[in-house]
Amino acid sequence: MDTLKNRWNKWNPVTILLSFFIIWFVFAFLVFPNVNTIYETFFGTGTFSLEPVEKLLRSDRAVQSVLNSILLAIILVFTVNIVGISLVLFTNYFDIKGASILKLSYFSTLVYGGVALNLGYKLVYGKNSPLTDFLTQINPNWDGNWFSGLFAVGFVMTFACTSNHMLFLSSALRNVDYQTIEAAKNLGASQITILKNVVLPTLKPTLFALTIITFLTGLSATSAPLVFGGKEFETITPMILTFANSSSSKDLATVLALVLGIVTIIVLTFMLRSEQKGNYISISKTKTTLVKQKINNKTVNILVHIIAYILFIIYTMPVLAIIIYSFTDAMAISSGFITWDSFTIDNYLLTFSSLEAVRPYLISLGYGFAGSFLVVAFCLLCAYLMKKYNNRLTRTLDFMLMIPWFLPSTLIAVGLTVTFNTNQWVVLNQVFTGTLWLLLIGYIIVNIPFTLRITKSTFFGINQEIEDAAKNLGANAFYTFIKVLLPIILPSIMGIYSLNFIGILPDYDLTVFLYHPLYEPLGITIMNATGNSASADTKALNLVYTVILVILNTMILTAVYGNLRFRKRKKV
Amino acid sequence: MITFQDVTIKYDDFTAVKNLNFEVKDGEFFTFLGPSGCGKTTTLRSLVGLIQPTSGEIYLDDKDITNLPTEKRDIKMVFQSYALFPTMTVYENIAFGLKVKKVEKAMIKQKVADIAKKVDLAAEQLAKKVSELSGGQQQRVAIARALVNQPNILVLDEPLSNLDAKLRVQLRNELKSLQKNFGITTVYVTHDQEEALTLSDRIAVFNKGEIEQIGTPEEIYEQSNSEFVCNFIGENNNITKLVTNHPERFDRLNLEENNAFYSRIEKLKISLFGQTYPLVEDELSFTGKIIDSEYYGIYTKYSIKVEDTVVRAVLKEKLSLGTDQNEKVQVILSQQHILQYK
Repeated sequence: MDTLKNRWNKWNPVTILLSFFIIWFVFAFLVFPNVNTIYETFFGTGTFSLEPVEKLLRSDRAVQSVLNSILLAIILVFTVNIVGISLVLFTNYFDIKGASILKLSYFSTLVYGGVALNLGYKLVYGKNSPLTDFLTQINPNWDGNWFSGLFAVGFVMTFACTSNHMLFLSSALRNVDYQTIEAAKNLGASQITILKNVVLPTLKPTLFALTIITFLTGLSATSAPLVFGGKEFETITPMILTFANSSSSKDLATVLALVLGIVTIIVLTFMLRSEQKGNYISISKTKTTLVKQKINNKTVNILVHIIAYILFIIYTMPVLAIIIYSFTDAMAISSGFITWDSFTIDNYLLTFSSLEAVRPYLISLGYGFAGSFLVVAFCLLCAYLMKKYNNRLTRTLDFMLMIPWFLPSTLIAVGLTVTFNTNQWVVLNQVFTGTLWLLLIGYIIVNIPFTLRITKSTFFGINQEIEDAAKNLGANAFYTFIKVLLPIILPSIMGIYSLNFIGILPDYDLTVFLYHPLYEPLGITIMNATGNSASADTKALNLVYTVILVILNTMILTAVYGNLRFRKRKKV
Repeated sequence: MITFQDVTIKYDDFTAVKNLNFEVKDGEFFTFLGPSGCGKTTTLRSLVGLIQPTSGEIYLDDKDITNLPTEKRDIKMVFQSYALFPTMTVYENIAFGLKVKKVEKAMIKQKVADIAKKVDLAAEQLAKKVSELSGGQQQRVAIARALVNQPNILVLDEPLSNLDAKLRVQLRNELKSLQKNFGITTVYVTHDQEEALTLSDRIAVFNKGEIEQIGTPEEIYEQSNSEFVCNFIGENNNITKLVTNHPERFDRLNLEENNAFYSRIEKLKISLFGQTYPLVEDELSFTGKIIDSEYYGIYTKYSIKVEDTVVRAVLKEKLSLGTDQNEKVQVILSQQHILQYK
């Protein structure tokens, strides 16, 4: 009966139509642009030539930028993991006084990523900041531009890239069976042994995935090196951006993007191979909830508290600076020096006085809503088909949809611009470069892998019997999906929708390659205001943008996750 | 010997257990039995040292261990989920406690091999991941992990509750023989009366944070000293109405002090109406009508309506052929087997 029905469904015209759409989309936007980029680079003149590669190798600056990016990625793997694990332990594992306040500040990177965050760090550590003034006062020889180069980029990105740890490592930690910790304690293990030998090994798979993400983030970092790198520390992506913007060196940009892609793939293969060893399956059927551990050793306890609060200060200062400076006049913003007279709400009045001022907002909101909705809808469809038909075609699809994870977003962006620069048969001879569509497509592509993973795991987590029951009671597939399945998966879908949304809003790294010059999204506007050349008024405006962004993101996250994740568990 | 003295445990304003007093003798298999939420696991965890009593003391051989942390106590626990470390192999799991104690490597190897043999784990299983083992093997690893430390006391928290019925019975027997071989003092928590009756030397029945009765399985079953214990263990007929309707016939019961009367279903006898049944002196006969019967193979359970009380009785063999609904029968009650409560 079941097979009969499946066979019938295979010939369902809607399914066929949707399948063709998916196949076309994957080919046109995931496969074709990347293949085309490689082709254009090496066969651009009609015959195979390594000319662009030679050109690249002759440029010391370009080679240095590749090395810098790899160095940055390696450093970040260590620093982000150390800080990220600490944050998660401080908020979820150890009994730290004031943990709920700490949590709030540690979560702040979630609501103001990318360029907005850079703006905050610039306000705190930059040239005219009170901190730099203070340091110069102590030591007159102190360099006003001290916060730049590898150190500054590494510092900012270390604290900027811990969002995923806070989200995923926390939930992995909460899934640890508390009975294993009690068992280890009962067998005589000390707190450090338990942490090292029982808890951390359980987190290994999650840590592993986070390490990959961190490495890739470091490799294709764009905004932080642009703001803090200075001349002495240039990385690949900004370099690609520079090359891509001049027609004479466009081929250099693609080669560089390819180098980025190749390094990524090598690292991924290497890491995936070593992952096989570290896997385990939890066997606990009756898990008990984790209870926070009070650190027995007094000195260690004090030390841990101190570290936790230093991190609190580091995380809080930039966001606090943005909020405070957004209420000050241009004078205070440019000099960094605040008096009582500096405070004003003029910036806010200015922002909302003209449509022109809120334009970047509206543009980004539009992209956020549309992009996030489309990617979720697309992934839902794919996940549904994958669950329903587990065959070679859907398995290939699953693999193809992971392409954006294996390729740095810079390469994808370059691929899209280069390919859709001219009429392409694959999209019915349309030109996308320089239209509003290209950025939307870009947002959809880069968000596919993560969204698909979440929707898939949600879909596959549903007990098959529930779906069978609905059908048994007479519901058709569509009705079952809308009335039974969707309500079950809706919380995770809303979660992933909002994460995509707040990721798109202030995005710079991808946006800068693909945006329509007349429709400047928020990320670009804020980035321009972060530069040293920006006028104080522009800066003021962007502080307001950022504050509103933070408020908006916080509202979205608390609305979606508030009831599930952040609420304190009641003691039973 | 374990001694609990006036132990009370509170969570915020909820009292989980109040005023516990009992002793567990050396080498004894002692069971905490009760419905879920009765405080048995809480009591066990205070013995292991995973929680501290709000008041009262716990002694181990006259030594006050109330505030001793769990890692310093010589009491090892087998958890409900087994709590095997999923990232380690079977060998690493069993060796964990010894490694922590910094026992010599060769010694650890020897001890792990010995204990594995005793709990019937094959040598090739030691290299496996714990997730590759069956439920029964996992349980043996959990027990081996506790026993390899040669603890004074072994403590088990519902270790069989995760398993299917058949495996549960098999492992129950293995557990019993293991305990006999090791002669180790064992404290066991369960809500399953059959487990408690078959395994234990003595049982403490918990209800709402208090111990209702402590005794051997026979004492608990045959002389349940509270209505709760009587109802929690075994199957009963509530014959209060029958007794109060015929006070003159139940001359051996204390009708003045008690007002609840029960008879265990297997203590009832049935004889076909018309057949003569020689009553002994404390036995009483009532006339009833069979209204239902359930066939179990080993025995058959009959529901019989006596006046307005329905009583159940079991017979090893079915009543004579053709015995069916509405058949009139005699129900014989023995007064000495009637449990009476205030």
